[in-house]
This record gives sequence, structure tokens and C-alpha cells, in this order.
Amino acid sequence: MQFTLNEHQAPIIGSLETLLQRHAGRERVLQFARTPGYDHELDAALGAAGFMAISQASETGGLDAALVAFEVARCAGVTSFTASALVAPMVLGEVRDVRVALAQAPADQPVRLGGYAELLLVLKGDEALALDTAPDDWTAVDTNRAGFPLARLRGEALARARSLGPGSGGRLRDGWRVEIAVQCAGLMKGALDLTVGFVRDRRQFGRPIGSFQAVQHRLGRLAVLAEGARWLALEAAYRDARPDLAATAAAFATGAADTMFRECHQLHGAIGFTREFPLHIWTIRLLQLQQELGGAAGHRRDAARLTFTQPDVLALSVAPAV
Amino acid sequence: MEFDWTPEDVAYRRDLQAYIRKMMPAGWRGYDQTDRPTYKAAAKAFAGGMAEQGWLTQNWPKAYGGAECSAWRQAILGEELTPIGEPRGSQYMNVNWIGPAIMRFGTEEQKLYHLRRIAAGDVFWCQGFSEPEAGSDLASLRTRAVRDGDDYVVSGSKIWTSHVGIADFCILLVRTGEAESRARGITVLIVPMGHPGFTTRHIASLAGDESHYELFFDDMRIPMSWRLGEENLGWEVVRWALAYERVGSTQYQRAALQLAEAAQIAIANGRFEDPEIQSRFGEAWAACQAARLLTLKVYDLREQGSPPTADSNLSRLISTDCLKMVAQLSADVLGLEALDRKGPGVDPIRNASMAVASGTAEIQLDRIAIDFLGLPRSK
Repeated sequence: MQFTLNEHQAPIIGSLETLLQRHAGRERVLQFARTPGYDHELDAALGAAGFMAISQASETGGLDAALVAFEVARCAGVTSFTASALVAPMVLGEVRDVRVALAQAPADQPVRLGGYAELLLVLKGDEALALDTAPDDWTAVDTNRAGFPLARLRGEALARARSLGPGSGGRLRDGWRVEIAVQCAGLMKGALDLTVGFVRDRRQFGRPIGSFQAVQHRLGRLAVLAEGARWLALEAAYRDARPDLAATAAAFATGAADTMFRECHQLHGAIGFTREFPLHIWTIRLLQLQQELGGAAGHRRDAARLTFTQPDVLALSVAPAV
Repeated sequence: MEFDWTPEDVAYRRDLQAYIRKMMPAGWRGYDQTDRPTYKAAAKAFAGGMAEQGWLTQNWPKAYGGAECSAWRQAILGEELTPIGEPRGSQYMNVNWIGPAIMRFGTEEQKLYHLRRIAAGDVFWCQGFSEPEAGSDLASLRTRAVRDGDDYVVSGSKIWTSHVGIADFCILLVRTGEAESRARGITVLIVPMGHPGFTTRHIASLAGDESHYELFFDDMRIPMSWRLGEENLGWEVVRWALAYERVGSTQYQRAALQLAEAAQIAIANGRFEDPEIQSRFGEAWAACQAARLLTLKVYDLREQGSPPTADSNLSRLISTDCLKMVAQLSADVLGLEALDRKGPGVDPIRNASMAVASGTAEIQLDRIAIDFLGLPRSK
């Protein structure tokens, strides 16, 4: 049991931070919000640094991939890195250096970063389907230039998908849940940091609004949500997206994401609703992620079912090695 | 970063579980505290048996009755004993923070006397912290200790003290500095119960029979050698003590056990199939698991020798939130049955009281805002 980065993880995160300083950050994400698109440069940098294969690189690969995904989300990278590096290898059993998007059959809902995907993994009951896609397969969705770019798959395209076999659906669902959890956790940390900075600087009634207890206590609760979501996501990744842990992590993260969205906007006041202030970069993505794969209620019900119908759930929760 | 227990830790947990099965009836959920002599004898027998096996203070130095294991042993102790109703009785406090405080701040004489008794599992403590006019604002406490030769003369009172009816010693906060010295003028004294000038009053409580007492000090004389740490520097002891106390009794696991039991009832009576109820079970479970990880993080910091951080406040806040969430869910599954004390429901009063004990939820939020998020002080 160790909550700090070990000797193998610290240099990974150290080099990632350097990379993200160059390829992410406030100005860059604002630029991507002005002209919606996909950050191919960031993707290429992550690939060149070897992060795409990180989940297969060591015994704690799943966790390492989640640690990287958390940082990328926190810095608001516009990339499908997490689906490609964390989820796809769980489903495919190998790393493929392609942009991956995730959808639920019949794939008639908007898909996050769908228009840029080279491989679409579709959850269909017990099966996962794989579909090689090109930009022509997609129609862009009008997102009011906020959040991740969304696209809808053209009706006929799904017919080309091939099944990855029985049982592959479970892996996709669990991996997707970890992906949602870790993305939400990173985005929440980004939104919270921005909000804390704002209330420290913003003065009203002659003092920083962050010195009012009414504001402090609300932020204190958000800190608990962000931290809780982060550790649950990392633990679920460490345990290779065990179904109950994946559902539990997604349940907490999506519930927290909803609160984080509302509270961060409320604490920012009017400026938070403008395009020129970057809060929306994080919060609208949180709104989108909340709706994927059945949303908080679906994750919660699965967490409850998967947990309380197991014979010795408490022993499992405190001592998974037993 | 990794989330596995070592094989030795797993073996320790198994030993504890087997010992609990041997010593306590199946489904045991706490002592009847109204019969104090029986309660105290049973808690002593349980803790004493653990001490004989060397299980009570495994993370302590060998010189004081420990085995020099990691702090994780204490987390395991909490996870196994807190949820079922704490068969050690109030001795959980000794191991969690009174022992560590004595180890850190005590004289060699105090260590040898008190730590060995704690490690043997046959001594009970209470903590004289809150006062009628000093609750959340603990640093405003007024119970006064004045030097007279080699003694302190103590006068004043404490309130809301738990476990007094079975205690052998009280760890007492007194003012030795100027009246307005706040945190800079507080000293910690170790006082045996029943010492001349020291009287107590039981306060009937809804949160458990040993929950609330009042303590009175009427010119009580205490030798200076019973002081813990330096004069006027007691606030540092308090900071350490509270950080340990807040995570010491693993409330998340109590909430998780209550939730699992409520789920079994809901599955049996069909309420679990209600999608809304099922969703709330998942929501509460996720909160309990988040609380578990936020608490274990504090143990990790302790294991690394870190001074207290606001992580203990995050742990406490979410753990007490879980207890309230679970009590409400239990009530919604059982209806009025939940309020039958002999029934299977979760006691909503006791669970709610935990968000007041060890610093109210609002105090936890203050600390998180200032120490964790770095927000400016409100004045």
C-alpha cells in the first residue's frame, strides 16, 4: 500500500509534466476551444514519449496509464489518448497506435471525439464490436463550440463492424468506466484549481471572496469529491478495471462531476460563462462525460448490484488480496 | 503507488478475524455500556488477549511493547474492530493517538509507565478537551493550571467527554498562559481518575451511554512531572492527537458494514429492486470506498513520518458523510422499523453524532479550505 509515486512512476510523471507544459496549458486549450479540433501534436508527443504502450510496459501498467490520463485530462488535452492507451488494450489484448473512440450500440448517440477516430469500439451487450472509421463516417454535432468535439456515426457504417467475441463487452464496459472516472477526476482537479485561484484573487466587500466561510466550505466539499474520485479511479485502474471497482469509481466520479460543474460556475459568477475565461474547458467536458454509458444512476446501480450480490463484499473491499 | 497489502499484513488481518470469531458472538455489534463493570472487564479481556498475542500495538517500538511493524497494522486493526462495535472499548483511543502522543512528547518515565500499560491492553483513557465555552473554538479553553511549587493547581471544567465511566486516566488540556494566549498558552496534563479535586457528572445521551460526561476540577493538585510535553506548547500535542484521532477509528468501514447489512435486508424485502433505492446503495457504497482510500492515504503519510496534514480532515468529513447517508438509506429501506433499537436498523442519532465528535464537519471544512486548498483566513 503506497499512495505516493514509486521509483518507476515518478520519472514517468516528471517527463509527462514537461511534455504537457509544452503541449497543453491554458492558452492552448483556449485556442482549441476557438477552433474546435483534435490536438494531433499532443497525441504525437505522447506517442513519441512511449506513453501509448504504457499499460503493457510493467506490472502496474494499468495504473501508470491512468496516472498519465489523469494529468492529460487535468491539463485539458484534446486527445483520445485515454481510450487508445487505457481502454483499447484491455479489449483488444494489444496496443494499437490509433485514435480510439467509444460508443454504445446502436451508436446513434453523439460520440466523444468521434470524428477523429480511426477505431470505434462499440459496446453491444456481452460483445464489443470494432469498427475502423474514417472522417467520412461521421457527422459533426453542434456543441456550441464547448466541451469535447462530438460526432454522430452515419447509419450504415456500423454494419462494417466486427465482433471481438463473447465477453469482450464486459472488458469494454469496465475499461470505459475507468476511463470516464479518470477523465472526470483529472478534469475536476483542473476545474477546482482554477476556481480556487479565482476566489483567492477576486475581491468583493474589500476582501478576497475565498476568505468567506460560505465560499470556503463549498470548496472544501469539492476538494473531497475531487480527491475521492481520483483515488477510486486509480485503484480501479490498478486492479485492471475489476467490474465492481470500475462501476464504483465511475459512480462516484460522475456524481461528483455534476456537483463540480454547478459549483465551479456558481463560484465564478458571470465570467465563468464567457468564452474568453477557460472554466468551460473543464466543466462542459464534465457534463459530457456524465452522460456516457448510462450516467451516474447506471454506474451506481451496477456498483450496488456487483457489490452486494457478492458473498463477502466487505472482505473484498478492505483486503482484495485475501 | 500501489494498493496491495503485504502477505504479512493479510496474515495479520486473518489472525484478527479468527480471534474476533473466537471471542465475540457472531453478529456482535457493541457492548451494553450501562453495565460499566461488565463492559470494562469484557473490553479488558478482549484487548488483553490481543496484547498477549502481540497484536495490539504492532507498529510501536519494541521497547514499549510493540513489534516495530508498519503503521498499516493500525489501519487493519481499525478496519476489523471499529465496524463491529469496537470490542476493545475505548482502548482504541490509546493505540490510535494517546500512545503515539506519549511516545512523541512524553518523558522516558512517562513512556515506560503508560506505554507498557497501553500495550498490555488493560488501561482506559478519556480526553478532557471541550469546555462549556470552548467547543469548536478549542483554543479558547479556560480551565486554568497555576504553578505552585512543583505542582500545578487546576480549576475549571470540561464537557462532552466520552468513556469517563470506565477511564483510569484523563488526558487534560489546561491554560497555563495568559487568558488571551489562545493556542500559545495551552498545556497537556495526564491525570488519574478520582484524583483529589477531580469529580465527574454523567450526562444522559442519545448517542451511547458512555458518550457524554462533565468533568470538574476544584483546586486539583498535579505534580509537574505529570505534564505531557512542554508548558504552553500543548497545542502541538493537540494537533498531532486530533490528526490521529480523526482517522483512528475507521468510520468508513463502519458505514460500509452497515450499508452491506442494509443491502441484505433490502434484497430480502425486495426494496433493492427499486431502481432509485439500488442507485442510492451504489452511491453510498462509492462514498464509503472513497472514504476508505482518503483515510488510508493518511496512514500512508503517517507511515512516512509526515507531520499532520489536512488529509485527516478530508478523511473525517467524507467518513461522517457516509455514516449519515447510510443511516438515511437504512431508514428508507426499513421504515419505522429502523428506529427499533433491538432491530437491524442503523442508529441515525449515533451516526449523526459522529459529524460533531472530533471536530465538527464545519471545522473539518475550515481546515480543508485553509490548509488543503490554501484559501485566505476569514479574518
